[in-house]
Amino acid sequence: MDGAPLLIALLAVPFVAAVASLLVPSPRGVLALLFATGLAVAGLAGLAAWTVADHGPIFAAGSWLFLDALSAYNLLVLVVVYLSSTAYAFRYFADEHEAESWTRRVARQFGGLWAGALGAMVAVLLSNNLGILWVGIEATTVLTAFLICLHVTSVSLEAMWKYLLICSVGVGLAFMGTLLVAKSAVPLALDPAKTLLWTTLRDHADQLDPATARAGFLFLLVGYGTKAGLAPMHSWLPDAHSQAPAPVSALFSGFMLNAALYCLMRYLPIVEGACGHSGWAQGLMVTFGLVSILVAAAFILFQQDVKRLLAYSSVEHLGIVTLGLGLGGLGTFAALFHTANHSLAKTLAFFSAGRLGQSHGTHEISVLRGTLRSHPVWGAGLLGGLLALIGVAPFAPFMSELLVARAAVQTGSTWTLVLFLAGLGAVFVGALRYALGMAWGRAEREPLPERHNALDVVLVVVPLVTLLILGLWMPAPLEAALNQAALVIGGTR
Amino acid sequence: MHPASIVLPASGLVLAPLLFGLINRTKAWFAGRRGQPLLQAYYDLYKLLHKGAVYSRTTTWIFRAGPIVGLSAGLVALALLPIAGMPSLAAFGGDVVLFAYLWALARFFTVLAALDTGSAFEGMGASREVQFSALAEPALFLALATLARISGQLSLSGIFTAVTPATWAAEGSSLALVAVALFVIVLAENARIPVDDPNTHLELTMIHEVMVLDHGGPDFALILYGSSLKLWVLGGLLVNVAVPVRTGNPWLDGLAFLSGMAVLAVAIGVVESTMARQKLLRVPHLLLAAGAMSALALVFLVR
Amino acid sequence: MSTSAELLAVAIVLTNLALLGSSRMGGLVRAMVVQGLAIGAFPVVAWAAGVSAWAVPFGLFAGAIKGLVFPWVLMRTLRRTGVSREVEPFVSCGMSLVIGLVAFGVAVWMGSRFSLDGMAYPTRLIVPVALFTAFVGLFLIVSRRKALTQAMGYLVFENGIYLFGVALVGELPFLVEFGILLDAYVALFVMGIATYQINREFHHIDTDRLSRLKG
Repeated sequence: MDGAPLLIALLAVPFVAAVASLLVPSPRGVLALLFATGLAVAGLAGLAAWTVADHGPIFAAGSWLFLDALSAYNLLVLVVVYLSSTAYAFRYFADEHEAESWTRRVARQFGGLWAGALGAMVAVLLSNNLGILWVGIEATTVLTAFLICLHVTSVSLEAMWKYLLICSVGVGLAFMGTLLVAKSAVPLALDPAKTLLWTTLRDHADQLDPATARAGFLFLLVGYGTKAGLAPMHSWLPDAHSQAPAPVSALFSGFMLNAALYCLMRYLPIVEGACGHSGWAQGLMVTFGLVSILVAAAFILFQQDVKRLLAYSSVEHLGIVTLGLGLGGLGTFAALFHTANHSLAKTLAFFSAGRLGQSHGTHEISVLRGTLRSHPVWGAGLLGGLLALIGVAPFAPFMSELLVARAAVQTGSTWTLVLFLAGLGAVFVGALRYALGMAWGRAEREPLPERHNALDVVLVVVPLVTLLILGLWMPAPLEAALNQAALVIGGTR
Repeated sequence: MHPASIVLPASGLVLAPLLFGLINRTKAWFAGRRGQPLLQAYYDLYKLLHKGAVYSRTTTWIFRAGPIVGLSAGLVALALLPIAGMPSLAAFGGDVVLFAYLWALARFFTVLAALDTGSAFEGMGASREVQFSALAEPALFLALATLARISGQLSLSGIFTAVTPATWAAEGSSLALVAVALFVIVLAENARIPVDDPNTHLELTMIHEVMVLDHGGPDFALILYGSSLKLWVLGGLLVNVAVPVRTGNPWLDGLAFLSGMAVLAVAIGVVESTMARQKLLRVPHLLLAAGAMSALALVFLVR
Repeated sequence: MSTSAELLAVAIVLTNLALLGSSRMGGLVRAMVVQGLAIGAFPVVAWAAGVSAWAVPFGLFAGAIKGLVFPWVLMRTLRRTGVSREVEPFVSCGMSLVIGLVAFGVAVWMGSRFSLDGMAYPTRLIVPVALFTAFVGLFLIVSRRKALTQAMGYLVFENGIYLFGVALVGELPFLVEFGILLDAYVALFVMGIATYQINREFHHIDTDRLSRLKG
């Protein structure tokens, strides 16, 4: 079955929904439309992924659109994150709807930007043209900026401005990297329409000019790394995540950071091929990954705001993914597995933090105590999410981190292993202290009682159970999918 | 030696004060007035030379030496300036450096003479003048270095013999930048707007005139004539860069040079009429910009 | 080496120096107008040197957007927020000029390390000029206090990158160029609105004072 129309539909549906949501009369209708969009995209994505698994990569629009195992895997993760975040948005904004701050204007703005961001992220995943890849990432920056300051306050504006400026400059640097990589293909005298296609560059990787490709990768790593939240370019992350509404933070950490890292995943085989598989690019990624883990660990030890804590945890986990990609082989497999685990756990944690914040009126850790008692469902969600994130067995993140450690042992880099484990250990100690306090400590003020319904329970139980199951047993289709995706980047189990 | 190479520099001796007349007439025309006669500077020189001089008891021989050194520097610089592609009267290898430092010598003695009077106004003018010249000097040197690099010569005469219209075709951008930088330097060194207003009568706003406030009579005539020579020589440098006419006939080239000087005087008049004087705090930026342009010209050349 | 391309390169460098040394917002916007138009003129000049004819409408379009539309949006935001017209630098204008000159020297050195074969554009100067423009943009973001000057710095940075792209690859596929320009436009628009909101909330656009979020 020809999958080309699937790709075009995947791209078109979110943008149509974005425009449509500007016209919907009721605020809740906007959310319903967004959820319906999510379902439609999920269906299309599932079909497309199945086609890829059976028949191999799909091409569309004159090879400008393209879906292979790696992008199909990421697409499925995106769909899961998007659906759960949109469902959560129903619950999150329900309170605001009663408080009259979820007006029609705010809802329409949210709807347009939310669907638009989904469309931009789908465009990033589907594009074969490296220029369109860049355009998609820049579009996500610009579209999500106003999601951060959905409710205009002085701190949210500050966070939005920092985010906009730092990420725009970073993405600009990534463009220079894109140009340099395109220039490294100039000696091949290719048809200019084909120079920016990923498939073309991958096929001719060993003929590219190594010096230019190296310079380009450096710019790309710094540029896309800014958008992915790698240290030391991560300074926008804690502010943006802590000030944005919880569904937006969940989407950011759950998928937008992954999208930027996905771009780096695409460039890695090209640059490695150009440099003769010397491991130079991978070494850089190991360095950035370790720096991110260690910096995040240092900051996690001294946090006062639960959402900032989760934001630094995102920096750490993206560092782990980068480290895995840099180690190669088993590490690539582990890194891809870790992206899914991180997305699941992080969205759960942000959902819980958001609802608890709404009930308590603040996100300060010192105030959010005894949540297991006062809010059993979301308190359990927060505890479970945090435990999963810091790598407690038998949750899935523990397994993927173990695989990364095994990859480090296999490549024989002792220092990498030592620093990696030290970072993980610091995060474990630091965050566990907060998690236990928030779950069982004694609250000073009694918060609003929790009103939960079936949707809340589903949103908490399903991710937790999934993480538990994945930690204990890797289903064969998932393993096959991960292997195929890892092959695209050049690693294998 | 062609007779033109003696006549043309000598014409500078005679025609230099005319530049002031041209500038003032241009400014008057912009203001809708009739203005001073073109030869007013000559009448002023005549008047001043026939006056007596009064010297304060706090001054020493330095006070009398200031104007004399200024005039001598101007005369030597005139002897070094090549006109119309012919070598100058006193050319030698490396006279670029002597050329730049003649002005420094004149400035040094003017400043000393100003400080010699012990007056606060002169001291203030001296400090301003020295600061701005310190910033203008790199610009001048970089411009001269660019010219030296283009022509491969270290003598002013050698440089300008080598700069022809063909040079403009080959290195036009560098020469254009050098010309603009030199124009700013001409304005700065000769105390013109936008650096200094020559018509101001408020001492606190003066830079150059306040240094010579206590000179009168013949001394002031020497200073006036010396400053006209300075304008002639520095302007001549600019005209040589901007209008390198080489018809083969030295007299025609000389005529082109003189017309170029006249156009320069009118241009200075236009600048003085259309721009306001810059705040004292902004003058370093202007000079830095001129230096930047010279540096750019050099960088463009060696890329 | 085509003279008109060289003159355009010189013009762009001079506008960069004007951006560094200007102490008023109006001066910054004027320099950006000249820079945008000069950048738009580059493909037209290159067409005369033999690059494909498609580059011309693109250059004109880019020049119009960078030289006319962006400055217009900036001036409009400036008027709406009603902030003072002083630039308020962290690094003084004179020192910025000196740093800019040093950066230009570094850019020339870096440009000389690029291999020149396959260059579609008629002057070797364009790579150092592009790198210099990008540096000036980053420097403006870092060394100027107001949010609007940071937005201007971002636009100058994008100018430099665009020039770099135009020099290195010659002609990107049009959709990509269009997408890039559109992104820059939307980014600027968003920044303009953001500045307006910041001003409304804080009554200033001094980003140095936007420092409540720490740790």
